[in-house]
Amino acid sequence: MSGRPRVEVTVHPDGSVTAQTHDVLGERCLDYVAVLEDLLAARAVDSAYTADLTRTEVPVRQENRDVDWA
Amino acid sequence: MSISLLLLPLAVASVAAVHAATDRDAEGRTICQVRTRMRDETLLAAALRDTGAVVGVEGQTLAATWAGVRADFQRGADDIWTAHLTGDVDDARAAAIVQAVDAAYGRQVQRAVLDRLRAQAPAAGLRLESEQVTEDDSVRLVFAVEGRTA
Repeated sequence: MSGRPRVEVTVHPDGSVTAQTHDVLGERCLDYVAVLEDLLAARAVDSAYTADLTRTEVPVRQENRDVDWA
Repeated sequence: MSISLLLLPLAVASVAAVHAATDRDAEGRTICQVRTRMRDETLLAAALRDTGAVVGVEGQTLAATWAGVRADFQRGADDIWTAHLTGDVDDARAAAIVQAVDAAYGRQVQRAVLDRLRAQAPAAGLRLESEQVTEDDSVRLVFAVEGRTA
């Protein structure tokens, strides 16, 4: 199941920042390292991949069927 | 989720915990030198004021005074500020003062990062969906991805 892509950013009172992408599938998540570094004027000092890296988009298939209504 | 990151703003140096060293000047007064993780002069001055210091600039030195203690902050070649404390101070008090300044500096950095994030996220294709202050005074923002951002 895939939801809308989101980015969650937590800015801590010591100035550090943690960020996670949600429902950004495959290697597109890597784009956000540079995006967030630029956006936050920061540099990534640690990173970890999570399950969505290996998930792929499942195309939504729509079927039209004739239904006989009794 | 697909990636999780820990980021340090450029205003914050990734150095070990505050460390104090004591020495004596030519007149026999105790001097405590404390290396900090602070890089941004404007945020440092604001943080010093937050701790109740009177702040002034003397050449390349940012001078802060509290009751009985003076701290001269000087920027090193690596752009990181080091504090030299004189007056009614020993290692423990010097470290405590600099840790209080460091905490205030962290809050200043947090405010600056949040201002920047709110202002620039839309241009990066990120729309703010929610914002929440957590129990530890962290601020959590959730952005919807509206377009390709990189």
